[in-house]
Amino acid sequence: MPKARRKPEALDGQHFEVVVVGAGMAGLASALRLAMFGKSVLLLEKHYVVGGLNSFFARGGRKFDVGLHAVTNFPPKGSGKASPLIRLCRQLRIPFEELALSPQSFSRIAFPDVDLKFDNEFGFFISEVERLFPREQDRFQKLLRTMEAFDAYSPEVAGDVSARSILGEHLQEPLLIEILLCPTCYYGSAVENDIDFASFVMLFDAIFRQGLARPLDGIRRFLNPILKRYEELGGKRRMNLGVKHFVTKNDIVERIELDNGEIIFADHVISTCGVVETERMLSSASQDENADDVSRISILESIAVFKKQPADFGWEETIVFYNDADVFRYERPDELTDPRSGVICIPNNYRYPNGEQMAEGQLRVTCLANYEKWVALDENSYRSQKEICRKAMLEVALGYLPNGNSMAKELEERTELLDIFSPRTIKKFTGHLDGALYGSPRKSRNGSTRFGNLYLAGADQGYVGIVGAMLGGVAVANNRILRGD
Amino acid sequence: MDKEKVKQIVLDIIAEIAPDEDLTDVKPEIRLRDQLDLDSMDFLDIVMELRKKHGIEVPEAEYRQLESLDSSAEYLFPKFEAKAVA
Repeated sequence: MPKARRKPEALDGQHFEVVVVGAGMAGLASALRLAMFGKSVLLLEKHYVVGGLNSFFARGGRKFDVGLHAVTNFPPKGSGKASPLIRLCRQLRIPFEELALSPQSFSRIAFPDVDLKFDNEFGFFISEVERLFPREQDRFQKLLRTMEAFDAYSPEVAGDVSARSILGEHLQEPLLIEILLCPTCYYGSAVENDIDFASFVMLFDAIFRQGLARPLDGIRRFLNPILKRYEELGGKRRMNLGVKHFVTKNDIVERIELDNGEIIFADHVISTCGVVETERMLSSASQDENADDVSRISILESIAVFKKQPADFGWEETIVFYNDADVFRYERPDELTDPRSGVICIPNNYRYPNGEQMAEGQLRVTCLANYEKWVALDENSYRSQKEICRKAMLEVALGYLPNGNSMAKELEERTELLDIFSPRTIKKFTGHLDGALYGSPRKSRNGSTRFGNLYLAGADQGYVGIVGAMLGGVAVANNRILRGD
Repeated sequence: MDKEKVKQIVLDIIAEIAPDEDLTDVKPEIRLRDQLDLDSMDFLDIVMELRKKHGIEVPEAEYRQLESLDSSAEYLFPKFEAKAVA
């Protein structure tokens, strides 16, 4: 493999064995893996905080997670290395207990006339499917066996097989297909009205076969031990600094030009910026290259903080995926936002240890949004539309919580703080074109590019969820750099 | 340095990379994979730790020499000896 060989010591502070671009989950995981084995690593982040889509921010003296509803893949007891999260902890040498994950209470998938409950016991989920769709019992079991036989994590897996078509081959009740697609699309599909089968299997296992969990103090609990370890190992990190160009020569990235004009060198470059975003950073690229590969999926998310525990309103569920029609719509809406379908998250309703609890109630509502419409707004309309859309989303969402609509007034009176983030915010935190939530529909599973020393990691590898993104970063570090080094 | 010491070095590495594994009864003649929950990612870690801690290089084509404690000792012992002489 051709490499831009230069002795790392020769250009102090300007030459690194590996430069990792983007300090999201994948970038952090690969940077830590490499630092662990003595590589000189520079981690570059355009934003001022780490975490990417799974970052955090402060408002009104409170800290919020940006993207985190739930850490999926919470391992059932005694599941050992078969669990992706346990495998990840081992690779990063972070004890599982240090993540302080607390399991969900229960969650729901709500469609007209159907309300399917699930918790972290896979058997309960199966019994709910069988209760609601008794005639699908055998066919559903066969689907489970097809999924068990499928190695969704394989680096060689095809990324363009439609889950909708495979579900259609196995099941006869269209509504069950829609109900299975709803949570899996919301938690990781970059394509409209479908999800690739590998991602579907990964997410199905992550959500139902394993489960949902959250640390009491949110995503920082995940990020802090990684950063601490990385820094103890001598890993370098520069914030508020992005890449302007990857300058290529003879099929390698020869040098990297940073936003501030500095030039740095690297033997290997791992870009977590996304497949299209990375291509456009190549010195030769035009700025509208591969526009068709930019995802149309983005979201508006509102957060209400209020002085009451959600359970005291009678809301005990953790997550509710809802859709107001028998057919699940997962597409860029024509309007700013489509409130008819979405995801509710109540972070208070994880079973925190020793009866600990978040001090205030929190209700998050997420719906699909149209990036182009949001960026077209001037600042005044942007502010007012956020409030209009928030109200419309909340009104629909409350209809999916027990007595939700009759609590609306009290909820409003007790609300202490409101925040909302739009496709514009996602663009700011992730740098993804069009505020794409789950990267491009075009995936590069093994991370290779046409440049010998440039690899992709992150959402565009097609590994989904926080655990998936981090395992993707680990895989690129292992297979592209550490193995056979 | 003797082969028993080499086995202990490998066990110490496994204890570090897989702290949740019970290593009290590992049979030296049986493949590590067959008695412990180790996968190819873990074997990569064993190789990387041998390099980092002991300066021993294991080329990728020879990773399978580490499949059991006995085979590891046979394979690694000469490398440790060579290191000691140098």
